[in-house]
Amino acid sequence: MTCVWSLRTQAYFDAEVDAPSAAALEQHVEQCVECQALLADLEASRALLRRAAASLTAPAPLAARLRQGLDREAPAPVRSPAARRRPPPFWLGVLTGLAGAAGALLLAAMLPLLRADPLLDELVAAHLRSLMPMHLIDVASTDRHTVKPWFAGHADVSPVVADFAAQGFRLVGGRADYLDRQRSAVVVYQHGAHLINVFSWHAAAPRLPASTTRSGYRVACWTVDDLGYCAVSDAGWEELRALERLLQENGE
Amino acid sequence: MDDKRRRFESEVMPHLDAAWRFARWLTRSAADAEDVVQEACLRAYRGYEGLRGTDAKAWLLAIVRNCQATDFRQRQRQAALPLPESHDARDVAAVVAPGPDPERAAMQRDEARQLDRLLGALPPEQREVLVLREIEDMDYRQIAAILGIPIGTVMSRLARARAALKLRCQADVPGSRA
Repeated sequence: MTCVWSLRTQAYFDAEVDAPSAAALEQHVEQCVECQALLADLEASRALLRRAAASLTAPAPLAARLRQGLDREAPAPVRSPAARRRPPPFWLGVLTGLAGAAGALLLAAMLPLLRADPLLDELVAAHLRSLMPMHLIDVASTDRHTVKPWFAGHADVSPVVADFAAQGFRLVGGRADYLDRQRSAVVVYQHGAHLINVFSWHAAAPRLPASTTRSGYRVACWTVDDLGYCAVSDAGWEELRALERLLQENGE
Repeated sequence: MDDKRRRFESEVMPHLDAAWRFARWLTRSAADAEDVVQEACLRAYRGYEGLRGTDAKAWLLAIVRNCQATDFRQRQRQAALPLPESHDARDVAAVVAPGPDPERAAMQRDEARQLDRLLGALPPEQREVLVLREIEDMDYRQIAAILGIPIGTVMSRLARARAALKLRCQADVPGSRA
């Protein structure tokens, strides 16, 4: 006999459910002995597989052989110096100007759309989810030398991680969230009673407003090089801005 | 090194271990896995322009699987291969990186062997979904993309694979729960 919730319990275990479903499921699991056992089984088998596979790495000669193969692949075509020196024809300038104007118009027309970026909803949903029991952190540590290396294997980016306990922002730990179709790195800080999730992900260009609110939560966004950062919290604007400043100043 | 090669080295090559592990469980042979990964990486490199922003690991694993499927059709010798249950210890001994601690190395070899035995006993479609989820940490959407199946199928297949693995574990070590 299998509980009808078993697939949902599995999805919950795999971190594939949104915050409301997770809450509903946790309520169910409290009463369902079968799903409790299922969660324990899932945990045990994952631990077994990960432990056993941890030592399996590609043999070194494979990488060497592969790089030899890559060396033999045709390099990207290099433009001839003559083609590079020729001055661009005047109509190219005219076209560039027109294209620029059209681009500006398009951007102006799309501005309202950009403001309603679904990424904002994703960020706030991820923040809310993180506040549910057992969801806040994957790596609990107040030591940035523990949190930062952890991201190397679990997220696609390596953000600034620092402990600002002296300034009132205690480093609590880190977490990986799936965001904007990539594994983003989340650094969690605590300020008084408030938790602040600082998300970071690959962002080619800034696309989120510097500050906005969603469902009553404050969202502050900034960009450093090709990393988008976003702090979400119920803390006040001043606190969020202070943390943003600290992080920007500490960027390596 | 040109720009394309540099980006390939930094974005794709870090997933070489994952590609090789996946290929190893697809082909059930360390030697075949190397051939498949070599071919897959070259193919990946040729089609590499414009990958920026997408998930390099899932992309590479999908190519590995395509290469393995092509390889499989070409050779049709997979069926004749022995199950990992009877595979030679050389495979495992060769793939577990030797550490300074021989006791620990021996334990890792045992664990890797047990893993091969457990996974080898599963049907291929259950094995691949389990490896992608549990070992390579792919989410449902990525698994669906790699295997070319709907997310609902990913979920049901994963559930069956996990149930089958649990049965195998219980049979493997009497009295243990996993």
